[in-house]
Amino acid sequence: MERKAFIAVAIVAALQAAPAASARPVSYAGGWTLIQETDRQSTTGLIHYSPEASFSVGARAEWDRRDDVLFTGVQGTWLAKRWFGEAHQANLYLWGAAGLAQDVGKGVSDSPSLTEPGVQLGIMTDWETRRLFLSYRASARDFGKLDASVMQAARVGFAPYEGDTGDLHTWLMIEVDHRPDNLEPLGVTPLLRFFYGPALFEAGWSLADDQPLLNLQYRF
Amino acid sequence: MLRTLLLTSALILSIPAAAQSDYAAPVMITAEGTILTLADTPDIATALSAGGEPIVAKVLGAVCDFCATAMNKMFGRYDDVAAVYVDLDAKTLNLVLAPGATMDDDRIRKLVKKAGYKVDSIARSPDLPNAG
Repeated sequence: MERKAFIAVAIVAALQAAPAASARPVSYAGGWTLIQETDRQSTTGLIHYSPEASFSVGARAEWDRRDDVLFTGVQGTWLAKRWFGEAHQANLYLWGAAGLAQDVGKGVSDSPSLTEPGVQLGIMTDWETRRLFLSYRASARDFGKLDASVMQAARVGFAPYEGDTGDLHTWLMIEVDHRPDNLEPLGVTPLLRFFYGPALFEAGWSLADDQPLLNLQYRF
Repeated sequence: MLRTLLLTSALILSIPAAAQSDYAAPVMITAEGTILTLADTPDIATALSAGGEPIVAKVLGAVCDFCATAMNKMFGRYDDVAAVYVDLDAKTLNLVLAPGATMDDDRIRKLVKKAGYKVDSIARSPDLPNAG
């Protein structure tokens, strides 16, 4: 009960925080999205299908390198609201995942093979024009005896030029993330984002703990 | 040698421009009287020359290549559409239908919505009946 309350409070706090996101797993109706994200703590893979432009369902596999915990499960992502403007777009996404979390390495538990049911909840929001980008995301997870934690991240980006359709789009970005349970709770990661057709690639470096950021997204 | 290389490069680069020099992009008009110009791409020129109806829609929220890809994929699924191109600079969805095919405004709005975006206005040729 205490754990549920903790996650509820974390989500409410996230909802009340400043606006803005990361990968967008929701695509056009009938589209698939393949995502790989590596940040200073985790490496995550998702494959999502969007039956409609407002939601997607798919598999999520996440290896928390800090705790050596592997989460595998099903994720649903809902585009709760999209604001349209002639020169801007803003989005609010809510997502949740349920599955199993397994201690796969040096372990946070006495038993390296301990497996617990796991749930994750998150919010992502962003606002962008062709030259400016702002995003915010927050998530909470409960992996039973293995972990219960929250995180939040905000990002700001600037495109040095406006690429047209089919051009290589380049963004200069910086992300600040807060993970209260980490040895380095505050992370700062400058990164480059490249868009080319249906593919997005991001590469950066966490200054807080010398870890890479490598994200790849492909839509088909 | 350098001079030859430069002249050859200039000649090669000038070929596409010369090939398109007689192309006059159709000017379209919305129900509200806004004038939109059909994008000029090889696929669109080919589809136009085959006799397809051109349509231009002003789209809201199209700010990135994912937006363009989504609409290109959505409209590209249909045999009624001979050519599709999203122009991020002009913020327009450009369509040329297959010869004899029709697509009313409601259907265009629905397909854009299924791609995740929103139509602001739709322009068609003044000498063609507006199906909206």
